[in-house]
Amino acid sequence: MSDAELSVAAKETCKDTGHARWLPAQRLWRAMLPIALVVLLLGFAAVDGRVLSPANLLNIAQQTSYLALFAMAQTVVILTRGFDLALGPAVSMVSVGTALAMAGATASGHGTAAVLLAGLGAGFGLGIACGLFNGVVIAVLGVNPFVATLGSYNIAIGVATTLSAGRPVQGVPGLFSQIFYGGSVLGVPAAIVITVTVGLILHLTLVRTVFGRSLYIIGTNPRAAAVAGLPVKRILTLTYMLCSVLAALGAIMMTARTGSGEPNLGGSLSLQAIAGAVVGGTSLAGGRGGVGTAVLGALFVTILSNGMNLTRIDGYVQMVVLGAIVIIGVLLDRLRLERSQ
Amino acid sequence: MTTALAASRPPTSIGLQSIAGRIGFLPALLVALVAGMSTIDPQFYGVINILNILRNASFLAIVACGQALVIIAGGFDLSVGAVVALASVVTAKTMAVTAAAFPGNNALIIASGVAAGLGCGSVVGLINGLCVAKLKVSGFVVTLGTMSATAGVGLMITSGIPVYGMPEVFVKGFGRAQVFGLPTAVYVALAVIIIMMFAQRRTLFGRYVYAIGGNVDAAVVSGVSIQRHIVGTYVTSSVLAALAGILLTAQVGSGQASFGGDRMMLQSIAAAVIGGVSLRGGVGRIEIVAISALFLTILGNALNLLHIDSRLQPVFLGVIMVAAVALDELSRRRKPRV
Repeated sequence: MSDAELSVAAKETCKDTGHARWLPAQRLWRAMLPIALVVLLLGFAAVDGRVLSPANLLNIAQQTSYLALFAMAQTVVILTRGFDLALGPAVSMVSVGTALAMAGATASGHGTAAVLLAGLGAGFGLGIACGLFNGVVIAVLGVNPFVATLGSYNIAIGVATTLSAGRPVQGVPGLFSQIFYGGSVLGVPAAIVITVTVGLILHLTLVRTVFGRSLYIIGTNPRAAAVAGLPVKRILTLTYMLCSVLAALGAIMMTARTGSGEPNLGGSLSLQAIAGAVVGGTSLAGGRGGVGTAVLGALFVTILSNGMNLTRIDGYVQMVVLGAIVIIGVLLDRLRLERSQ
Repeated sequence: MTTALAASRPPTSIGLQSIAGRIGFLPALLVALVAGMSTIDPQFYGVINILNILRNASFLAIVACGQALVIIAGGFDLSVGAVVALASVVTAKTMAVTAAAFPGNNALIIASGVAAGLGCGSVVGLINGLCVAKLKVSGFVVTLGTMSATAGVGLMITSGIPVYGMPEVFVKGFGRAQVFGLPTAVYVALAVIIIMMFAQRRTLFGRYVYAIGGNVDAAVVSGVSIQRHIVGTYVTSSVLAALAGILLTAQVGSGQASFGGDRMMLQSIAAAVIGGVSLRGGVGRIEIVAISALFLTILGNALNLLHIDSRLQPVFLGVIMVAAVALDELSRRRKPRV
């Protein structure tokens, strides 16, 4: 199949996934989540005025940038009908590996640049290794994504706690934290700058490149993708590697924020990222979603928990509310989809 | 460990291959693991260790049976771990409250506690099932939501503090008791497995679950009422998880919101999948899932006895889990299609 044919096929899927034409009613349904976001913000602001203060809005944007990055990572594999349960433990593993490499390089007397390179190399190296493992097990060996990433979930937890002996790893240089957390471009904090840049690149990759379009085709109809001659195994492997590399970037940013390598950094991040992606409108059935849905979902979840924190809603009640929101979000999304068909 | 892995390699001769194809790798792996451990460490077949393994395997098997049923029908239940915690807390709390109101009336206290525990399990199951069947939201997302909500409710009830005040007879006379040398939990698990095996093979419900998981459209056309049976699978799964929570509570002697959790949920899915339940639905047998729960428990026990660093143990678990499923997948691919 030539590239031209492929791009025609990609456009067809694009139409099927509803990007092409919007009727007014569809537009209303599409705008529902953003409207809900604004209503939510105003509602919290009515209870506590601080919610809308510039400091808190910046705070929300900064918090969102981490979850958005992880939701994007999750979205990439969800597009192909998979998911990555190992994302959270991979974040822990990368955090510990990055901190250890930098502490080690500092101890052996290397210069600042070498220390930073060692940290980034170790972090992204571990991320790539994790993604490669997931991709090969899922695409080449044909193991279900749930089982494969449940396996690497356990492996990554084991590696993270063994490397760190279960304790936070100190020795992260100040410059590292400065670049990935403290720094800012034109007054915008580093985390937001990085996430927006990565988000734009990822969006263009998903929408404008053959690789990106093939993810939608594989998710919409895997058999058709294989019959059409797409190298499904290679694309899937690359997809899981992309997911883990994005997670590694997020882990590096979070390590810069805490200033140490944390073996528990990932925690329940896998499911949170899936929830974020799904609330934003990414379909677990594959083929539907993108950077926009991931960011919207992450924004929604972050605003909700930020608002509940500021209005002093009990943490346990917050868990119940978040659970209900996940279900309602998906339900509304399904209704929206039915309307648009 | 090396012996277990070596035994799991695909056999080369045709006769062996067909046998392995029929019974699967799991029993062979299990036998190899038990034989290997028995030669390495005599502690392994000590009475205390065996009872310990059986008790822990019982909890996992009960939860995994329900999980397997949901997966066979083409769903997913992420909420089981949270239900274990909620049932534990609710049971203990109800018993404590009833004991304060009717002191000494043990039968009433225990009955009300167990009923409340199983009741809250069936409520969660009903919510899961109705959301999946009526609202047509994917099981993964629904149970992801109810998992968070259920865990939240459990913590709200207790504020994270263990609940005491259960009657002595419930803990000493049931939870920690042994009948004919075996813990009571083992008998409960065996009863659950036998009932589930019977339900799978001999009842309409069991057959319809396979039909729904195998091909929903065909099942609809054949006149199977899909919604009722899907709700049935989720309720069964949650009630079994609640049962495991009650048994755990009886053994430990307090209701705790930290029981179950993500670990129990992931292990129950691992047990089902290693036990040959296909995540695509329509395939799986309860008895193999029970063996698989036993295998996972023995594996964890073996890693402990071999003094493998507890931090490193998840790595072994992960590798073995992926290897078991990958080998199964490869052997199925090699088999000629009929």
